[in-house]
Amino acid sequence: MDAAQVIHEKFVAKVKSGRLPRRVASVQPEEVGLAPEALVELFYSQVTSRQMDRLSRRLQARGEGFYTIGSSGHENNAAVAEAFRADDLAFLHYRSNAFQIHRSKKLPGQTPAWDMLLSFAASAEDPISGGRHKVIGSKPLAIPPQTSTIASHLPKAVGAAFGLGIARTLKLAETAVARDSIILGSFGDASANHSTAQGAFNTAQWAAYQGTPMPLVFLCEDNGIGISTRTPPGWIEASFRDRPSLRYIHCSGLDLVDSYRGALEASRHARSRRQPVFLHMDCVRLYGHAGSDVQSTYLSKQQIEQDEERDPLVYSAALLIEQDILSARNILEIYDETEATLDRVAEQAITRPKLTNSAMVMASLIPPKRESVRTNSPAPEQRRALFARDANMMDKPQHMARLLSWALADLMLAYPNVIVAGEDVGPKGGVYNVTAKLHERFGSARVINTLLDEQSILGLGIGGAHVGLLPITEIQFLAYVHNAEDQIRGEAATLSFFSNGQYTNPMVIRIAGLGYQKGFGGHFHNDNSLAVFRDIPGLVLACPSNGADAVEMLRECVRLADEEQRVVVFIEPIALYMTRDLHEEGDALWTASYAAPGESRPIRLGELNVHGDGDELAIVSYANGYYLSRQAARILEEKHKLKLRVIDLRWLAPLDEEALVAATRGCRKVLIVDECRRTGSQSEALMALFAERATDVDCRRLTAEDSFIPLGRAATLTLPSRDSIVEAALELTRG
Amino acid sequence: MADRLSALVVCPGRGTYGKNELGYLGRHHQARRELIERFDRLRADRGQPTLSELDGAARFSVATHTRGDIASPLIFAASYADYLAIDRNRFDVAAVTGNSMGWYTALACGGAVSAEDGFRIVDAMGENSQAGEPGGQVLVGLVDDEWREISGLRGELLDLAERIHQRDGAKLHLSIDLGGMLVFAGNEAGLEALLAEAPANPAREPMRLVNHGPFHTPLMKGSSERAFQLPAEYIGGPDRPMIDGRGHIWRPHASSPKALRDYTFGFQILEPYHFTRAIQVAVREHAPDRIILLGPGDTLGGAIAQALIAINWRGLSSKRDFQDMQSSEPYLLAMGRDEQRALVTE
Repeated sequence: MDAAQVIHEKFVAKVKSGRLPRRVASVQPEEVGLAPEALVELFYSQVTSRQMDRLSRRLQARGEGFYTIGSSGHENNAAVAEAFRADDLAFLHYRSNAFQIHRSKKLPGQTPAWDMLLSFAASAEDPISGGRHKVIGSKPLAIPPQTSTIASHLPKAVGAAFGLGIARTLKLAETAVARDSIILGSFGDASANHSTAQGAFNTAQWAAYQGTPMPLVFLCEDNGIGISTRTPPGWIEASFRDRPSLRYIHCSGLDLVDSYRGALEASRHARSRRQPVFLHMDCVRLYGHAGSDVQSTYLSKQQIEQDEERDPLVYSAALLIEQDILSARNILEIYDETEATLDRVAEQAITRPKLTNSAMVMASLIPPKRESVRTNSPAPEQRRALFARDANMMDKPQHMARLLSWALADLMLAYPNVIVAGEDVGPKGGVYNVTAKLHERFGSARVINTLLDEQSILGLGIGGAHVGLLPITEIQFLAYVHNAEDQIRGEAATLSFFSNGQYTNPMVIRIAGLGYQKGFGGHFHNDNSLAVFRDIPGLVLACPSNGADAVEMLRECVRLADEEQRVVVFIEPIALYMTRDLHEEGDALWTASYAAPGESRPIRLGELNVHGDGDELAIVSYANGYYLSRQAARILEEKHKLKLRVIDLRWLAPLDEEALVAATRGCRKVLIVDECRRTGSQSEALMALFAERATDVDCRRLTAEDSFIPLGRAATLTLPSRDSIVEAALELTRG
Repeated sequence: MADRLSALVVCPGRGTYGKNELGYLGRHHQARRELIERFDRLRADRGQPTLSELDGAARFSVATHTRGDIASPLIFAASYADYLAIDRNRFDVAAVTGNSMGWYTALACGGAVSAEDGFRIVDAMGENSQAGEPGGQVLVGLVDDEWREISGLRGELLDLAERIHQRDGAKLHLSIDLGGMLVFAGNEAGLEALLAEAPANPAREPMRLVNHGPFHTPLMKGSSERAFQLPAEYIGGPDRPMIDGRGHIWRPHASSPKALRDYTFGFQILEPYHFTRAIQVAVREHAPDRIILLGPGDTLGGAIAQALIAINWRGLSSKRDFQDMQSSEPYLLAMGRDEQRALVTE
């Protein structure tokens, strides 16, 4: 028999016969302020959640439902909803139906059954995801939808909690959430082991340990199993009970009153002390992992039956009867009537429109625009004071690193909600001085030295953006982003898509990277692969080649985050940070004077730079490749009399294909110079573009080899060079 | 149960007992004479004209029959008696809701107050509003001839009301969000300004509602305070789900009588009544097979249909769609219409 049917029959039989279990906790409802009506309302939420699980399976069997990961056995998270405010941002895992249903009751006019059934039916009218994703999430209920099954939402929960403290300190007039709210992040016992989750716990503790406000409750709904792998009995408690700066609270997920007691204690602690709490709730997984999972293949009959005996709905019924609040008949009426009601609602929900074309699907990849939160137009005297110590340098040409540091300072002055966060960005000013003096100028609330964990840095950015900050996070080296890429790929970039544009996490991620550093590095400081960013829908990837562009592009990136709510990756070519000269020592052709915001000549997203107007060859490149191509261009022009132009892409994603094709028009030969690896680099897309869109063009590419970067003088052997560009250009044009 | 249809029951508000409804109790509720007589005794005890006299009057008098202390109890009695007349062999009541004073009727239908106490509340509130604060209500249309909301009009009206309210001496608030209409309430200066300045809508001219007070606004503060003097024990928990004027669902066994009383005599009287939302929440969360609109009258039917059209419920996107549905298999059954009443009663 179907597992859901077994549980259903056992529930009905036990309530009818009165063979009900004794409570597993002794705390009385009045001790925690739970009135009888409140208990019944919680029970309604639990029953609705349970009946929805059963319904989801019936709908799937009819081909009308598309989601069967249920909440059965976890229904006591309704009591957690009761203990939190409806505006406490909740990052929930996927067994949280009862939580959402119950929270909806705190906000009159909500329609949780309708909303969730639209979601089961993948209707385009599903109010949280527009038919794109699973069921838990709501804008009015402050529940951002989570894509995660592996607790990858926990770094941003930590980031949001941290961001709340920053927003309070900065006294920002407008924040997305109330300043006295707290953050909830829930997950299962299995995903508590995930390194992402462990990193999040550690970061919360690390911050709280040094007195940083961290109003956050981690809710571990411990059902003792992850798909088919048992969690060792007692593991969660043993692992979390005695961690520094993390308050551990246990409650039983079989007893509504005790669940509420634990959740109330947790929420009060987090709210009043602004410290993190680990709320450990024992749950049970009743139907297997999802609709397709057959538990009997990995659990013994006895184990399954033991779990079935721990049905929280049966325990809630027992509580209500024992407390003389409801009769068995009342309970069965509620149970049956809820089923009948949901059946009727489902019949309507499945008739609602679905997503029917790719444009509908993709409509929320890019977030909606919003009013700028930029409030300041800094007065000249403000800027003078800010830059007093740099005044004598500011009218002289400077290299990229210094120009960027000034641009960052100006941006922080103009946008009161910008924070800069990363490893060593504080008093040290970053490894390459790009954040120099920012800490001194803006203080530790806005210039934040993080711990050494890229997932937490990105989580801080994502979570901070959720609460109204405009984070500029820094990843110290490109190679380090790879351990945390899911925070961009699976979390930040997907939020608008899966929330139908209702939730966004606008941010700029600065990453120092690419090769050609002289005398420093080896692979992990010279990583030359951007492939990880290239296929992420909606992501903006900026990569300047010189200081003047870098300043304008960084401003455009912050504007894109601020006004268009985009997630932006800004790659800074390390080798060009301090580069001053182009052709000869002392020519200073790669420096620029700093353009103050008032003198800005904006470079908009997608805007290319075309140097020269020759028509025999177009070299298409970016970053170091562009710099080397400019060196090569002089040789080609002067020595080989080649008429050419050199195009700097500047923006690698989204690629403005029209503009690029237009920029090469008139040239029959195109050479793509890509300092990233042959496989997976931008050059692949460019080759495809010219093959598809400019069939009369003879297009070749010069790329880095498919190799990692070695040390010392060998560091550039696998990369394009000035001379190899000259050679390739001649070969292409002169054959 | 499976053979019965589920029904959402909607209780109408003020303005539904008009000329055509005179004699409603006599015509439809002979079987419930005993109930009407109990109501009559309650009024007689207080020296008020009885419902039987008022309902049995030779002719309808606007001056008399639309007064708060007359209209409210008449409407309550007619609606509640209609509720009792629903054939329970054919219908299960999935939930009840109401518009404005219909909320008090909904409390009685939903079992949160007894028939008598509900009547006492309505009688007291009718009197209390009649005696009460200066001001009234103006109804403004939001939809075109096909009952589709005219783009931008809602925002324009709400902005206008806000601007008028800012003027010296003028008070104007949203009172009821009523399907394809907005009802504003305020003092004379506010209402006059609204009538003069409301943007033109060819489908419906703004209309002052006769003998109505500034319901669901802060101007009703005195009324709210007097309501709280009514005995607390009038209000208990419901036995059917009730959807209030915020779209909140009060469920059996799960509703605190104190909270229900606080809402009914506080927020409900002093803040806008979102009937549209109540209907939309009711259909989405209960998906009834039918909507039964209690009498007297059927004028609320339009607002219900408009609330459904606004969310494309059952695919409805226009007045024509609604009429087509009604003529093929009526979904909205108005007990104030004889042919539809016959589909509801025994």
